Amino acid sequence: MPDSRKPDSRKKGNRKGPAEKSTEEKPSVRSSRSWWDAVLRPTRAQLIIAIALALVGFAVVTQVRSTRSTDDYSSARREDLVQLLDQLNAETRRLESESADLERTRTQLESGADAEEVARAEARKRAEVLAILAGTVPAEGPGIRMVITDPQQKVTPEVLLDVIEEMRDAGAEVIEINDRIRVVATSWIAAGPQGLLIDDILVTVPITIEVIGDSHALAEGAQFRGGLISEIEGPSIGGTVDLRQLDLVKVDSLHTPKANQYAQPAPKRPK
Amino acid sequence: MIPILGLVLGIVLGIVLEPGLPQFLQPYLPIAIVAALDALFGALRAYLEGTFTDRVFIVSFFSNVLIAALIVFIGDQIGVGSQLSTGVVVVLGIRIFTNAAAIRRALLHA
Repeated sequence: MPDSRKPDSRKKGNRKGPAEKSTEEKPSVRSSRSWWDAVLRPTRAQLIIAIALALVGFAVVTQVRSTRSTDDYSSARREDLVQLLDQLNAETRRLESESADLERTRTQLESGADAEEVARAEARKRAEVLAILAGTVPAEGPGIRMVITDPQQKVTPEVLLDVIEEMRDAGAEVIEINDRIRVVATSWIAAGPQGLLIDDILVTVPITIEVIGDSHALAEGAQFRGGLISEIEGPSIGGTVDLRQLDLVKVDSLHTPKANQYAQPAPKRPK
Repeated sequence: MIPILGLVLGIVLGIVLEPGLPQFLQPYLPIAIVAALDALFGALRAYLEGTFTDRVFIVSFFSNVLIAALIVFIGDQIGVGSQLSTGVVVVLGIRIFTNAAAIRRALLHA
């Protein structure tokens, strides 16, 4: 179609510039033709440039679209991809080592928490043992109850001390006298004007001694020939002893510890 | 007027048709576009200097595009594709700027 129109357009073309080398005339910007004329009867040069521009526009749009739509990796070159892969690998290694570090830290913290728990349980057990020993908590367990009558008031502090020592020898863990006095490491026995005193508390008769420990061993410790029962029931004192082995002895009285005035824990010395 | 219509027509066709770019053309189309731009600027300069020839334009347009694509293709084959495409773009860019300077002088006399 352009070929058929070419002669017309050439006739109507306004020669303004110098003659071209080719047979084609040069269209002028300042053409006297109306641009409708130019649209309807284009010169060959105009058509060629139009086609070229159409190709370029088409290619640009295609390229822009493909650049936008395709992801970055499909158009990347091999070296770039290799570099990218290297970076990713290095990053992966770094993150893996970091993850391993954190894993190790977590394990340490967990085992540390376990150790702390064990230490706490140990300390709690020790505190219980010490509290029973110091008489600051009530205690219960198997044991014996002894009721000593002393009609002639002949039980001296020495006799009572003997009883306590004998019970301790037989493995007594908690000793209580008359449901009021908890016998502990600092307990003392003395003779007062109205009778026996333990820790400044009057011991009334009959004397009830409750002991927690192996009840059989405690009973044996009290009953052996020449032991404390024989002594109390003997002619020199003339009392009676009622001894019973019990499955459960409850000790409710407490000893109130005083803060030490003089003794301090010694600092640990390096060996 | 016609060239502008052609440009618009090409852009509209590209938008409407949404052509998929074949895989083997992907590295060469950008270079081809730059080469085509160079040819177009050369044509505009020749037109303004009064030496425009449509046959020369056609030949230079397609040969520019083909040679640019060929250079990049050969570069890809021998492993220096990215460097060669950079070189082609630089050279064509220089040419475009030279042509633009000539066009500016012809249009604005400055």
